[in-house]
Amino acid sequence: MSIISIKDLTFTYPGAHDATLRHLDLEVEEGDFLAIMGANGCGKSTLCKAMNGLIPQFIAGDMTGSLVVSGLEARDTPIGELAQHVGYVYQDFENQLVRPTVLDEASFASLNYAQPDYLERGMAALELCGLADKAQDYVWALSGGQKHLLALAGALALEPEVIILDEPIAQLDPYHARQTYEVLRDLNEHHGKTIIVIEHHTDFIADYCKHAVLMVNGAVSWKLPARKALRQLDDLAASDIYPPQIASAARELKSAGIMDRCIELPTTVDEGVRAFAGLGFTPQAHSSRGDAMAGRLARPSDAPGAEPARPSEAPGAELAVAFRDVHVQYRSVKGAPHTVFDGLDLAIQPGEKVALVGSNGAGKTTLMKLMCGLIKPASGEVRLGGVATRAMSPEDISGAISLVYQNPEQMFIKDTVRADVEFAMRARGVEGWQERAQELIDRFRLGDLADRDGRLMSGGQMRRASLAIGIALNPPILLLDEPTANLDIATRREIVRTIADLRGVTDTVVIATHDMQLVCQFADRVIVLNQGEVIGDGTPEEIFHNEAVVEASGICPPEIYAMGAALDARATCFDIEDFLMCFDGYRELALAAISE
Amino acid sequence: MTTTASKGAQAHKLMVFVLSMSLYGLATLVSELIPSVQVGIVEFSVEFFLFIPLTLAMLFDPLSVALGAATGELVFSEIMLGQFGGIGELEKFLTVTIAIYIAGTLVRDPRNLKAVAAAAIGATALQLAMSAGVDILKVIFAVEEFEAVPGLPESVFFTEGFAFLNDLLFSGILFCLLPTLFLVPRLYGKIEPLLGMKPRTAEDAPEVPSVKLVLGAVACFVVAVLAACLSKAGFSLIEWEAEWAESTGAIFTGLGVAAVIAIVAAFCLHRNATLSRA
Amino acid sequence: MLEKLSENVMDKVSIDFLRNQVLRNAYGNDDTPIAKLDPRVLIVWYLFFGLVPWFLSDVTVLLGLFLFCAVTTRLARVAPLVLFVFALGVFSQTGYLLIVALFFGGSVETLVPLLVLTLKVTTCSLASITVFSGLDPDRLSNGLLWFGCPERLSFSISFAYRILPIMFEELQNILLSFRLRGQAPAHDTLMGKLRWLVYQVKTIVQSFYPLMLNMAKRSRTTVEALELKGYRYASSNMDVLKIKLSSLAIGRNDLIFAAVSIVWAALCFALPVLAGVLL
Repeated sequence: MSIISIKDLTFTYPGAHDATLRHLDLEVEEGDFLAIMGANGCGKSTLCKAMNGLIPQFIAGDMTGSLVVSGLEARDTPIGELAQHVGYVYQDFENQLVRPTVLDEASFASLNYAQPDYLERGMAALELCGLADKAQDYVWALSGGQKHLLALAGALALEPEVIILDEPIAQLDPYHARQTYEVLRDLNEHHGKTIIVIEHHTDFIADYCKHAVLMVNGAVSWKLPARKALRQLDDLAASDIYPPQIASAARELKSAGIMDRCIELPTTVDEGVRAFAGLGFTPQAHSSRGDAMAGRLARPSDAPGAEPARPSEAPGAELAVAFRDVHVQYRSVKGAPHTVFDGLDLAIQPGEKVALVGSNGAGKTTLMKLMCGLIKPASGEVRLGGVATRAMSPEDISGAISLVYQNPEQMFIKDTVRADVEFAMRARGVEGWQERAQELIDRFRLGDLADRDGRLMSGGQMRRASLAIGIALNPPILLLDEPTANLDIATRREIVRTIADLRGVTDTVVIATHDMQLVCQFADRVIVLNQGEVIGDGTPEEIFHNEAVVEASGICPPEIYAMGAALDARATCFDIEDFLMCFDGYRELALAAISE
Repeated sequence: MTTTASKGAQAHKLMVFVLSMSLYGLATLVSELIPSVQVGIVEFSVEFFLFIPLTLAMLFDPLSVALGAATGELVFSEIMLGQFGGIGELEKFLTVTIAIYIAGTLVRDPRNLKAVAAAAIGATALQLAMSAGVDILKVIFAVEEFEAVPGLPESVFFTEGFAFLNDLLFSGILFCLLPTLFLVPRLYGKIEPLLGMKPRTAEDAPEVPSVKLVLGAVACFVVAVLAACLSKAGFSLIEWEAEWAESTGAIFTGLGVAAVIAIVAAFCLHRNATLSRA
Repeated sequence: MLEKLSENVMDKVSIDFLRNQVLRNAYGNDDTPIAKLDPRVLIVWYLFFGLVPWFLSDVTVLLGLFLFCAVTTRLARVAPLVLFVFALGVFSQTGYLLIVALFFGGSVETLVPLLVLTLKVTTCSLASITVFSGLDPDRLSNGLLWFGCPERLSFSISFAYRILPIMFEELQNILLSFRLRGQAPAHDTLMGKLRWLVYQVKTIVQSFYPLMLNMAKRSRTTVEALELKGYRYASSNMDVLKIKLSSLAIGRNDLIFAAVSIVWAALCFALPVLAGVLL
């Protein structure tokens, strides 16, 4: 039986030229776990807000067609009544939390609808989300993942049959992302809730969702069982969605004639083990990467402007960044201060490309802020190029190091992108700042956008602009906080390329990220932080092979790496190319192609 | 369709209220915590961050902005810091609200910088005039008592006069006019879509204050004056007390006030108890 | 003056410190004896201790009430910053009068009424600090609601505490961007200091441009979420009010607190009389 039934729905925002939803038809079965995929601006969020009545009751616009939820016509049912059937969790869930304490927030909706047992309902919702032990805590004391679960609990308290989540894991690290999906699965399987997620992480769709919908230009392109949906590689790619790496690899093998064309494309590791069984698989030293590293080390160190000391020549002499016995504490609101670092020692050599990984709250952001002098250590010191940050003025520091925030909006302090790019150079009277700004704008392809406000651009454009702002002063050290979080495939690819470009421009780059594909593509050295301690430090291969570290930090190697490891424990495949080269048949073909 | 439209309008008003409350609240909180800007004996009576609600009032619904700003100040800087000064706060609360509201209704098209400038400086002058009026009334109200303290009246007149001039020429231009002129054109057309609204144009500008509203504003001003005088009564009673000092009159006054308050409170308790039982 | 100012504005008063102090003041003291009292009792208590001293003038009585309020403030474990602001407030209200009065030729007689004045201001402020800082914001807003305050105000109070950490963080990031990417003028000379001051003021004004836009984005989600949670529906529903207020209850501690307050106040008022009789 359909719990949501949409027929010929068309919606146009006031003043907009084109309709956002066009003659959309969709049936959602009761008890389904549905993923809605689609490129940016295809109308996913609009559709979801139509399901809970916010559109057109709260956000005005022209709507035709019908949308029935639990037997109620959404357009004519008061939002309050609809909210008891449809729960909604926003992408920027932090702003959805309006009460100071956890239990308060969870029970707020029940209270507002005058349910006398509102506290019990709130508590029950917290239990479903695994937050029961936090009931008396303050919202601001929660981690990002917990806040998200709390937003979910707030929606659950009204016991709706349908729960809609807009990009639930966009802001979470892999560990917390999985935790959230486990909660959702539990709700779906044991409590009969119908779950709808806007999602473009295909690995999660493959693992958790039952069906998937692809939206294109305000209409539903198809609705298929999840696994089958993920095999529509061309459709997904056309909508800027990453197809599962395993499926892409399998298709490549098929087209090379190595894999039987009749076998269905595998979408998960389990399916992959079956599908790839019997094909000769021999782990290879991944040559492409080795070349890249050799290239980097061989890069002439006497190039103009390069640091004189290479890591191998004079260790410790002129470190790019050095942490010596650093202690950092945060004042906590109550009780003893919270210690982030207790005697941290760490050195980063000039020219290193470092990835900083670890779950949320492990201290990555604090580490970056320490380097920029934004946080002063309680004891110990942080040195940049041999000078203690304590002795440097903010202006000196910003000449030596630059931080690009996780949230690009926070980089925009002027009213146009151009003004933002120019700002630091102008303030310092850099020679030829106008030309340099124009150069940066061209380089990051911001030409058409340069006179707009950064905040009003799309996610990818914002990221590009924030990178341009970050490297305006040509800093020898560049810090990037989660540069690929929350981006679709096309944008992400673009950002990764941009970052790769930076290899030649900035010497030392440190990236804090959860994105293991980025780690594999970019980093020479991975530093794993866990609760303020460095628990792993080495090349990506070393880190991913160290089970203790992987376990403790909750990092998930990319899907294709896991696939390779599942076929042969010694395999280290960082990208599809690495993986394919492990297949004897494919390698022979490739070598044959080269020798020709 | 009309209900939908009005619901949308209400939603926008709530958004504007929340926005104005949090922004102005934060600003007043910060300014409260950086008190050293007070130069010696002169306390600026212009709010340093008045440009925030002024700007918002010219872009959005002025009444929601004015109420939001007043609530924000009350909640963030008075209640949150425990600096609630009692009824004396009403004066500032009301004069600021009136000034912001009027400034907001006067600007029909925020792209017209002359109108923005005139409204910004006009609102500041209005707020200053009102608070100066209140101050002068306070002094008149208390002047006999102040006379007895050597040096006090002169010092009060001196500081008030200086502050007034200083405010109008210095803070008024620096903290109200220039920032508003800086912000309004930059925010116009950018901030409205973020809240899902259309930018204000001359056609859909808020209505010019009606007679009723003007009367309301005047009434509010009278209340403000009364509140200010009442709060100053504490000061003026210094001398009034002198004759009574040795008698037990003061004690009885105190007890009397206490009793009245207790009765009012008890009545309040009772009334609410019955209300909630109803 | 300028030097002090320039050091103050950005270097010493870090936004982080402010944020911590304000939060500590709001939520760090929810287990004190004061915080556990019924908000209604405290509000009535405030009506007395926050208003009556204004109309008193006997130094002894005022001193007695002042001591009592000082004790309750201590019990409420108010954040140091709030006390500092309080001290500054007292100075700006009466302390400066003292100096000015002396400057215009006042004498020792000027001091006595000013002492009375200072005691009044201090006592009333301490009472308000006890109640408004000592109570956690939700209890306070429930208490106010009970006395018939508009729902919008009581919601604003608890919402303010929710949004404050977010806003501080937002502001902090913006100011940091300005600080890292901008270049403050050198402030060695007097002119330099003046320029530095102007620069800081300009920075603060300019930082509201991004802050306004960022907060606008946020408040849209917030208001939509409020609508989904039925906030608007609740504000006009008496049943909701009743449920909300049913959590308030006057217990033994409240009675003890009320009794102690009354006895102490009575003693204070009686003291001058007793002294008069005895002497």
